[in-house]
Amino acid sequence: MSAYARFGLPVALLALVVLFSLTSPTFLTAANLRSLALNHFAILALASLAMTLVVTSGGIDLSVGTAIDMAALAYIVILQQGGAPPLAILGALGGAALVGLFNAGLIGGLGLPPFLATLGTLFIGQSVQQLATNGGVPIYLISGAPRPIFAAVDAARLWLVAFAILGVAALLAASLFGRRLVAAGVGPAVAYYSGVPVRRDLGAVMILAALIAGVAGIVLSSSVRSYAPLSGNGYLMDAIGATFLGTTFSPWGRANVAGTLLGVLLLSVVKNGLLLIGVSFYWSQVAGGAVILSVLAVSFLNRREA
Amino acid sequence: MPKPPNRPALATALRLGAYLAFAAILLVFALAAPGFLTLGNWLNVLQQSAILGLLAFGLTIVVIGGGGNVVTGGIDLSVAANLGLAAAVYASLVKHGYPDALAAAATLSAGLAVGALNAVAVTALGIVPLLATLAVAKIVSGLEFVLTQNSVVTATSPFLAWLSDNGPLAVPVMAYVLVLVTLIAWPAVQATPWGLRLQAVGAHREAARAAGLPVKTYVAGSYLVSGVFGALAGILSAAYLTGSSPGSADILLSVVVAALLGVVFSPRLTPSIGGAASAVLFIGLLNNGFQLVNISSYWVSGVEGALILFVVACTPSQREAMS
Amino acid sequence: MTNAPALALRDIRKAFGGVQALDGATLVVERGSVHGLVGQNGAGKSTLIKILAGIHHADSGVIEVDGVRQTMLTPARCDQLGVHFIHQDRLLAPSLTVAEALLLGHEPRWSGTPFINRRRLEAQAQAAIRCAFDIALPPRALVRDLSNAEQQIVQITRALLHRPKILVFDEPTTALVRREADFLFATIRRLRADGLTVLYISHYLNEIRDLCDAVTVIRNGRDVARVDARATPTSQLVSLMIDRAVDQLFPARQAAFGAKGLEVDKLSLAGQFEDVSFGVCKGEILGVTGLVGSGAKALARALFGLERPTSGEIRVKGEAQRLNSPRDAVAAGVALVPEDRRRHGVALGLSVRENATLAALNRFRRFGLLAASREKAAVNGLISRLSIRTPDAETPVRALSGGNQQKVALAKWLIHGSQVIVLDEPTVGVDVGAKVEIYREIAALAAGGAAIVLVSSDLMEIQGLADRALVFFRGAVVADIARSELESDRLLTFVTTGHDSREPHAKAAE
Repeated sequence: MSAYARFGLPVALLALVVLFSLTSPTFLTAANLRSLALNHFAILALASLAMTLVVTSGGIDLSVGTAIDMAALAYIVILQQGGAPPLAILGALGGAALVGLFNAGLIGGLGLPPFLATLGTLFIGQSVQQLATNGGVPIYLISGAPRPIFAAVDAARLWLVAFAILGVAALLAASLFGRRLVAAGVGPAVAYYSGVPVRRDLGAVMILAALIAGVAGIVLSSSVRSYAPLSGNGYLMDAIGATFLGTTFSPWGRANVAGTLLGVLLLSVVKNGLLLIGVSFYWSQVAGGAVILSVLAVSFLNRREA
Repeated sequence: MPKPPNRPALATALRLGAYLAFAAILLVFALAAPGFLTLGNWLNVLQQSAILGLLAFGLTIVVIGGGGNVVTGGIDLSVAANLGLAAAVYASLVKHGYPDALAAAATLSAGLAVGALNAVAVTALGIVPLLATLAVAKIVSGLEFVLTQNSVVTATSPFLAWLSDNGPLAVPVMAYVLVLVTLIAWPAVQATPWGLRLQAVGAHREAARAAGLPVKTYVAGSYLVSGVFGALAGILSAAYLTGSSPGSADILLSVVVAALLGVVFSPRLTPSIGGAASAVLFIGLLNNGFQLVNISSYWVSGVEGALILFVVACTPSQREAMS
Repeated sequence: MTNAPALALRDIRKAFGGVQALDGATLVVERGSVHGLVGQNGAGKSTLIKILAGIHHADSGVIEVDGVRQTMLTPARCDQLGVHFIHQDRLLAPSLTVAEALLLGHEPRWSGTPFINRRRLEAQAQAAIRCAFDIALPPRALVRDLSNAEQQIVQITRALLHRPKILVFDEPTTALVRREADFLFATIRRLRADGLTVLYISHYLNEIRDLCDAVTVIRNGRDVARVDARATPTSQLVSLMIDRAVDQLFPARQAAFGAKGLEVDKLSLAGQFEDVSFGVCKGEILGVTGLVGSGAKALARALFGLERPTSGEIRVKGEAQRLNSPRDAVAAGVALVPEDRRRHGVALGLSVRENATLAALNRFRRFGLLAASREKAAVNGLISRLSIRTPDAETPVRALSGGNQQKVALAKWLIHGSQVIVLDEPTVGVDVGAKVEIYREIAALAAGGAAIVLVSSDLMEIQGLADRALVFFRGAVVADIARSELESDRLLTFVTTGHDSREPHAKAAE
């Protein structure tokens, strides 16, 4: 890939920021930026970090939304039943971990291809949630006594995201596990022939990704103070989009944390900006899809010439 | 001549097992639910399966041409979004007073356009089908929302009314449609040179190329066909729901299940129209049986998910392709 | 015109990167003859054939088909000229039936309809196979359920349907058993009787003798002889194939061996090899060689845990090991530098550093993280020790030449510090300069106490490096020869016939 091609993503992002600042008076205001960061960015960033880990290892996780939802479900239900906040958090992570363990068993244990395995998990998770909520009825904890945990999580949102970013970046860049993941993604046969426990690592990464998604679930349900079934799935496509957009930022075409974040920013800015200049919410979806398609086209065209 | 290895036995066993499971489930439902085995009920199932069937056929054709491996080979994840858009187009035009013929033409063109976008993304731009069709799905569903403003668009027209009604012999028109399309698609894929060459392209791209086949043309064509099937399904959907309503994306997963399950029901354990038709029927009867026995429909997607996992775990071709 | 040879490639030159694959090779095939092409791996045979097929283009030289000079050969042009190839890869769609695969692209239809006339399809297929081979293959059988020989029959019949003038067979009997091979020969003889010209490439020298009219021997990118196949004894073919200038390439070695580093006891792998026993001492290099399918490769795989032996025992440093996966092998101290460098040896998308440390990440652990400085130091050390030509350790391995990629593959195990190293075709596709460096390193490893198993089809390599040579032939070890007894023709005869050239019995067979 040419040295300049990798700057396509940040340049596009910058251009969009400039565009929206000029066309909308409210874009660059502190209030909007905070809303952008807290609402659009935070949860998508967490989901995308989880996806980045899985894509690095050569797979894909269609059940990241399921993990978000299972975490949110456990979290809200425990709080609703009067459980203490720490228990709720543990429960949430446990719910997400269940999804991760299931995936790990399918992918690491049985060796099923990640796309199909996580598709199956997605389906099953859908059923579980519908059964648990009697058809998709959300659980609201908005009324009643205010719960300090929600405010606490809200306040800590960006810290959690920052922590996750640093953690995943460090894992990929500096840990043995991270190195093995990269090897499994780039050359799984070579890794296998080098004695790397590829299947075991692929299973482990699914659990880790699910845990990160679990944190997203906690953040999501704290911010809306409720659990809405299947709402996590809304983040799936964008998480995939952001991660693959992010690969264009790497000189090697690999999934990477910085690129993923740029991708998340790009998608969030597009959505937010279009909304502010009065474009309907639905056109922003079209625009988002078109942006992803264009970046993919450039990325794959580049790869073929290489 | 030395004896060939025992693979055919395994394949037959798997297929036999699948049909036995099918029969067993039917038996369970027949015993547990009165009215399951009535003609009226089965016609009902056919009617309700028409939309899924059309989409599954389109996806199956893409998968046939792209190689059976879902991830690196052909797949079209935009079928559900295409369905939604088509229904929205038809319903909107009819609602604004345009005649059925125009609405149908516009809908088919829209479906063709979506198929063309997929075809370009995959064959010309070289984007992996999984990602390409995901991105196109996002664009198309956005377009659908733009058209409908995420609200229900009620529309009725003589054609739509006729589609959702019973036809001759008190058989629902949509049941006729499903059967008719199956009777056309099945021989088209299994018995024409086009179908055979498409299978060759998907089964072994190098061999197809060596045989002089224009591989990219076949792959591109399969996406166009899928687009048209999506449009047709959209028209049926508009009739079924008397208009269009948001949330058609849910059907995507069922379509993928149908295409995957179809492999197990197919004589060569490769994707086929006949197998897809059996799978669609299976899913339809499963849903129907659940309803009659009063099992919550919420179990359905879970069962479908388990089915996918089961099929993948048992079909070595899918797993080998990944190593 | 009528006397022009069916095929003539004259003075072909072709270089890849810095390597001269063909250096003035000439191949002339008379019309209506069966012409054999022999030569060792890397001598230039496959390059020549690929140039003929239009896959590569010669740097210089002349190609004539039926006396007509060809300027731009492409696969499509070859088709038009009537030159058809029976490749080693079957190139048949596995889920099609025999009839479908045969007539793909030329399917008979019910007149006036778009539908395939199945009855005629199957009848035509049966007729074609019967005509070509005089046997009956069920036309509805799926290609993937056929045996190798049956698939080859379909492949050949399909080519014959195109009425070729010249058929090129590339190593056709590697996957066939004796009876199937005989069948193939009968077919080829019949084709010749029908006026077809056949170019037959093979390693099995006795087959060449039985089948061919003339033979061209390729060595070092050049044709060194064109002889009458029946009148030339195998030993003479062998000596033509061998390059005598062996000595300069290989480092001097002393035979100072320690205890047994690796022992193999009555090892069998169903379908691949049976009852193999040998030992390799520390400091010893054991050469293992044999044709494709002879069992040599399978042995390498079994030693690294890639195949599970059906019976027998493997002992590393005296301890019996159960090697069920490469991970087990690596833990036991066994390393493999695999044959397929690009798919198994090095990950092209990873850097030199990432590749080199992949088998030994634990060595650079500090507080659970990778100690980057220690890692870099180790890798740089190896870059200089092996003279790996790379801008730096961060360069993607894809950018390196084949020889340097191979050095990285070797470096991986040097960093790991394995004491039993299995090398599978370590210098295939490697330029001479890098070859010398790799040989030097292998010798140094042995001198340092490693037990080395060198699996190679390059007999020069075996002769130059190995202290002993094990020869496999159709699943059994037919020779275990010490270096002093290792003349090249004897080795090659063992490899291609399973018999000793010294034995009077072998002479009688000629």
